[in-house]
Amino acid sequence: MAETVTIVVNDQEYQVPAGANLVDAARSIGDHIPVFCYHPKMDPVGMCRMCLVEMGSIQRDRATGEVMLDEDGVPQVRWFPTLQTACTANVYEGLVIRTDTEQVDQARENVLEFLLTSHPLDCPICDKGGECPLQNLTMEHGPGQTRMVFMDKLKLDKHVPLGDLIFLDEERCIQCARCVRFQDEIVGDDVLAFHERGRSLQIITNSDPGFDSYFSGNTTDICPVGALTTADFRFGARPWELTDVPSIDPWDAAGSNISLGTRLDRDTGGRAIIKRVMPRQNEYVNEIWISDKARFGHHFTRSEDRLAWPMTGEARATWAEGLQDAADRLRAAGEDVAIIAGSGLSNEDIYALRQLADGLGSARLGAWPPTHAGADLVARVGVGQGTNLGQLGPGDAVLVIAADLEEEVPLWRLRIKQAGDRGVLLVVANSRGTRLDNFACRQLRYPTGGAAHFLANLSEENEHIYGRLRDADNLVIVAGAEGLDLAGSRALMQAAANILIETGHVGRPNNGLLAPLPGPNAMGLHYLGFTPENTLDIMARPPQTLLVAQADLLADDPSAPDWLGRVDNLVELTLFQDTSGGRARVSLPIQSFAERDGSFTSGERRVQRFYRAQGPVGEATPAWQAVMKIGEALGQARAKSSAAAVMLELSQQVAAFAGCRYRELAWTERQDPPIGEDLWYGGTVLHNRGGLGVQIPTEADSTAVQAAAPELPALPQAANGRLLVLPVTRLYNRERAFRPSDVVASRVPSPHALLNPADARRLNVVAGDTVEIEVDGGPAVQVQARLDDGMPAGSLALPRHLTTTAMPLKPTAAVVSRIPIPSEGRVAEHDA
Amino acid sequence: MLILLRGREIPDLHKLAVYQANGGYEALKQAVAMQPGEVIDEVKASNLRGRGGAGFPTGVKWSFIPQNEPVKYVAVNADESETGTFKDREIMEDNPHQLIEGALICAWAIQATAVYIYLRGEFWDIAEQMDRCIGEAEAAGFAGENILGSGWSCPVHTHLGAGAYICGEESAMLSSLEGVLGQPRVRPPFPAQKGGGLYREATVVNNVETLANVPWIIENGAEAFRNIGTEQSAGTKVFCVSGHVPRPGNYELPLGTPFRELLVEHAGCDPDNIKGILPSGGSGPLVPGTDEVLDTPLSYEAMQALGTILGSASIIVMDNSVDMTWVASKVTKFFKHESCGKCTPCREGTYWLDKVLDRILAGEGRPEDVQLIDNVAKNMAGTTLCALGDFAANPIIHTISNFPDDFNAHVQPKPAEEEPAARPVRAGRRRRASA
Repeated sequence: MAETVTIVVNDQEYQVPAGANLVDAARSIGDHIPVFCYHPKMDPVGMCRMCLVEMGSIQRDRATGEVMLDEDGVPQVRWFPTLQTACTANVYEGLVIRTDTEQVDQARENVLEFLLTSHPLDCPICDKGGECPLQNLTMEHGPGQTRMVFMDKLKLDKHVPLGDLIFLDEERCIQCARCVRFQDEIVGDDVLAFHERGRSLQIITNSDPGFDSYFSGNTTDICPVGALTTADFRFGARPWELTDVPSIDPWDAAGSNISLGTRLDRDTGGRAIIKRVMPRQNEYVNEIWISDKARFGHHFTRSEDRLAWPMTGEARATWAEGLQDAADRLRAAGEDVAIIAGSGLSNEDIYALRQLADGLGSARLGAWPPTHAGADLVARVGVGQGTNLGQLGPGDAVLVIAADLEEEVPLWRLRIKQAGDRGVLLVVANSRGTRLDNFACRQLRYPTGGAAHFLANLSEENEHIYGRLRDADNLVIVAGAEGLDLAGSRALMQAAANILIETGHVGRPNNGLLAPLPGPNAMGLHYLGFTPENTLDIMARPPQTLLVAQADLLADDPSAPDWLGRVDNLVELTLFQDTSGGRARVSLPIQSFAERDGSFTSGERRVQRFYRAQGPVGEATPAWQAVMKIGEALGQARAKSSAAAVMLELSQQVAAFAGCRYRELAWTERQDPPIGEDLWYGGTVLHNRGGLGVQIPTEADSTAVQAAAPELPALPQAANGRLLVLPVTRLYNRERAFRPSDVVASRVPSPHALLNPADARRLNVVAGDTVEIEVDGGPAVQVQARLDDGMPAGSLALPRHLTTTAMPLKPTAAVVSRIPIPSEGRVAEHDA
Repeated sequence: MLILLRGREIPDLHKLAVYQANGGYEALKQAVAMQPGEVIDEVKASNLRGRGGAGFPTGVKWSFIPQNEPVKYVAVNADESETGTFKDREIMEDNPHQLIEGALICAWAIQATAVYIYLRGEFWDIAEQMDRCIGEAEAAGFAGENILGSGWSCPVHTHLGAGAYICGEESAMLSSLEGVLGQPRVRPPFPAQKGGGLYREATVVNNVETLANVPWIIENGAEAFRNIGTEQSAGTKVFCVSGHVPRPGNYELPLGTPFRELLVEHAGCDPDNIKGILPSGGSGPLVPGTDEVLDTPLSYEAMQALGTILGSASIIVMDNSVDMTWVASKVTKFFKHESCGKCTPCREGTYWLDKVLDRILAGEGRPEDVQLIDNVAKNMAGTTLCALGDFAANPIIHTISNFPDDFNAHVQPKPAEEEPAARPVRAGRRRRASA
C-alpha cells in the first residue's frame, strides 16, 4: 500500500496517496474538480484556470510541530488569499481545500463565461457535440446566459489542415495546449506549437509535411472541444449515433485496445460501418493512445477488393462447392499437405487450422511472414506476467536491438520513449540510425546483419553497457529482426534471452524479452505450433496441397511465384480477391477482424478479445468456421457454432490458453487514472468495456530456464561493388490491407531506398535519382534514392511494401545502379 | 545624492576607464575577496528590495539559491516594458558598468556559472553598448574567464527580446531566454529553485536597477544604504515621471519622498490640477490627486497602505482635462495587446473589456455596461498565473471606483430605445439595422 496523507476536502478528512496531483486525488474521493487543460498523463500547466479552489494548510507550531487549534479546538487553517489552481498542486499532509463554496462556484462560472466569449455556438454541427467537456462543464457550472452581447462574432478559419489527417477549427480552440503538450511530452514529435499571443494565440504545425507524427489522431481524443478533428471522421456522424465496439489494433504486436465506432450508414445500404476508431483504455498495453495506423487503417474492412464469395478457379462457387473442392484437394494429397497461416488470423482461426492439420496428419505448419524467429523464446523468457512498460522508471533499463520500433510497433516506441523520460536507461543498438535514437541514452552500432554477434559478445566487447544492463533493477530487451535472416533472428533472440537469463531479468514483471513480431497475432501462431522455420521448409519443399490463410505470399516474398508454381493445389482463405495471382484452385472469403468475434495474442502474450462491429462482406465467414467446415467435409469433428465455443475448447486443449475463456478475457477492473463516464480525458469513448485480456505466463514465471549457446550464422556479405540490401519496415506502406485507407495515402512514402552518402557518391547517385536494385535471385526494382547519414556504408535500406513488387525477405546482396534521366534538372550535390 | 544616475554628474561614465577612475569595479574586487555567503548577508542586511515592481528583498532571494548545484545563473531583467518606465534605460545608457558589476557581484554571491542580460527588443542600441562594455570588462579581467584571478569564471551575455511585455515577467522571460514562446510558468518551482530557473537550473532574476545598487552597498556597507529611505524601504529609487508634468523625466530620490515633493517641487506640477495618478504605469491601481495622496511617502509600505503599489515607480500624472474612461480604454488596449493568452480570464477578459469600453466611448454603451466591465475586471483579478491579469483589471476597477461620473457620462440611458438585457440577440439586431 502506497504511503498516504490526510487532506481535508470540504471539511471532511480523506486519505489519499502521498504526492498525488490534487485533481486526481479529489477525483478519487468523488470530488470532480472541473478541468480543461489538465490531463493526468501530462504535466500540469495551470492555463485554463477552470480548477480554481479555495486552498490552505493546517497550521503547525514551528517549534513543536503540533497542530495549532483555535478557541473551539478546531485546527487553524492558513488560507491562500486568492483561489488556487488544483491541477498545479500535489497533495501533502494537512492540505485543506474547499470546492463547494460560492466563491469557487462563481470562479468556475466566470472561467466558463470567459471561454464562451470566444467560443462559437456551433455545437449542433460540431463533431464533439455530445461528448464535449466544454459543453458538459458549461451545463454543470456555466452561466445560463451570455453577457457578451456583440454581433460581430469572432471569425477565424474553421478548416485549417494541420496535416493530411488532422484539421483545426481555430474558432473552437480554447488554447488549452493539450495537443501541443501531447506531441511534445508524450510522443516526442514536437511538431505543434502556439503561434502569436493573447486572443490571437493559435495552434500551428511546424513540420513539413504538416503534423508529421504517427500519433496525431490522439490529439483529437484529448482535445476538450471540437477544435481538432480527423480527416477520417469529421462530419461523418454524431457521437451519440455510434455504437462503440471493443476491438484490437490489427496491425502490430502491441495489441492496442481500440473501440470501433459503428453506425448504420446510408453508404453501406443501411448496414453497420466503422465510422471511427478510438483508443480504449488499457494501462498495461496502450494506456489511452493508439497509432494513426490503427486509427485510420480500418478501411480495408469495407474495401471493394474484398473477396465476397467462394471461388473455384475463376468461377464463383457456392460455399458447399468451395468447401467440398477444398476438402477434396486436401484429401487427395494424403499427408503431403502444408498450411501457411498469416499473423493476422485470430487464435480461434489458428486453432481450427491446427485441428485440420492434425486430422490430416500433417505437421507442416508455417507462420507467415517468415521474417522473425524466436517466438518460442518470447514464450519462455518474455516479459513477466503483470508487466507494464508504463511502470519502468529510474534504475531500470531497456535495450532495443535490430528494430525500428517507430515503424514496426509505434506504441512500444511511444511507451519506451516515455520510460526514457522517466529515467530508464534506454540503449538502442542497430546497424543504422532509427527514430528511437533520438530518445536513447546510448546508441550502439554494429555492421549490417551483425546484431546477433554483437549481442552475444556484449559482455566482452561493451562491458560498460553490459554492466549497466546487468545491474538494472528491471531490464526489458526488445529484439527485432532487421538485417537478419531467420537463422540470424533466432541467434539474436537466443543471445537476448541469454543476457536476460544470466542477469536474472526473467520470470518477473517488467523484465524479459519483447519482439516486434509481425502482425497482431504472431504469438498465437507460436502457441499453436506454426513457425517461420516450417515456412522456410515449405518454401523449399512445396507440398502437393498448400492451404494458405490470410497470408499475402506474393506481396511479401519475391520467390513466391517460383515455389508456388511447384504446388499442385493452392487453397486459400483470403480477405482479398487478388492475393494468389490466379494460382489458387479454391479461394474462400473470410471475415476481417471487424466483422466477427475473436482474439489475438499480443507480443506481450496478452490474449485479448475483439468483438463483431459490422456485418460481413458478401458471404465471407470467419476463417475458423471455414476451416472447421472443411474439416467436417473431411469427416473431422463438427464445426463449432461460435468463436466463444472455439476458445472454450482451445482453453481446455492448449495449456497456454488456460484461463482465456471469453468471459475471462472480458474481465475489466478499475484503472488508474480512472476514466469514468464523464469524459475525464475529453470527449472520448476510452472506457474499457471489452476486457483487459489475460497475459499468458512465461515459462520463466514458474520454472528455472537455462541459457543456450546461440548458433551464430555467417554475416551477410556483399562483394564486388554490390550493396547489401537491408529490408526494412515502414509503418505506412502499400500492403494489400493498408492500401484501401485512402485517407492516409498521401502520407505513404514514395518507393525509395536509403543510401549512405559515400555509397551514393561512389555510384554517382544524388538524392532523388532513380536507382535500379537487382537483387540476387529476385526481380529488379526501381526506386528513388534518398541519402541518409545514419546508413552504414555498403548497405542500402529498402522499405518493404512501398510498391506491389515484393522486396527480399532477408538481407541480400544487390547490384545498384543509377537510371540515367534525360532531363538536365539533376543537381550535382550529394546532400539532400 | 545619486547612486544609480551617476552618469548625470560624471561625463562618459559608460567608458570603463572613466568608471574605474570613479571607483568602478572596486566593489567587485571587494566582493570576490569575501565569502559568497558574506556577500549575500551584506545585501540582506542592506534591506535592498527588488526594483522591478514586486519589492522582494534581494538578499533573501539570493539566499534561496541551493549552494551545491553545479550550474546556477543570474538573469538580469532589462525588459523594461511597463508603460511610463524608463529608468533602466538611463542606467544602462549612462552607467552600464555599474549594472555589469552589480550582476557579477550577485553571480559571485551565488557562485553562478553565467549572467544573462535580457533586454527588450527595442533596446538593440543599448544591447550593442552593453556588449561593448562586457567586452571591456572581460578584457580587464572583471568578467569571463578567471575573474580577478579568483579562479571563478562567469561569462556575461546579452539577449534581445522580440517585443512582448509579458517577457518582463520573470518566468516568461526565462522561457523567452530559452528560445521558446514567452509565457509565464507555473510556480513553484520558483526560478531560484532547481527546476524553475533558466534551463531548469536555479536562477536569480533581478531587475537592472536592483543590481545597479549592489556595488554601492558592497562599497559603502549595508548600514549606509539602510540609512537612506525609510525603515522598510531602504535606498534611493529612480522615479519615472511622465504625463501632464512640466518637467518629466527620471528623478533619483530617497524612498519615502512624498508624492508632493516629487511632483510639485521636482517635476513642477500644479497640485490643484492633478486628477489622477498612475503610480506604477498601467499596471498599478490608479489613485486620485487628492491631498491625502500627495502627502503619501513613496515607499513600498505607504503605497500599499494607500491601496496601490509602488511597483517600478513609473508615475503617470493626469490633469483635470483627462476623461478616465478614455484612460481605462487606453490601458486596456495595451493589456489586451500584451496578454500572452495562456490563462483564460486574462486572454478573454482583456478582449471583452476592450470591446465594451469601445462601445462606451463610442456613445453606444448601456448604463449597465459600467457595472459589467467592473464585474468582468473583478472576475479576472487574482485568477491568473501571473500578475498581468490583475494589472489588466486594475485600471478598470480603480478608475470606476474613483471616477464613476466619467463613465456614467458616456452611458446616459435612452429609455425609449432600451432593450431588456435578457434579449441580447434582438438588441444586436437593432444595432445592426441602425448602422
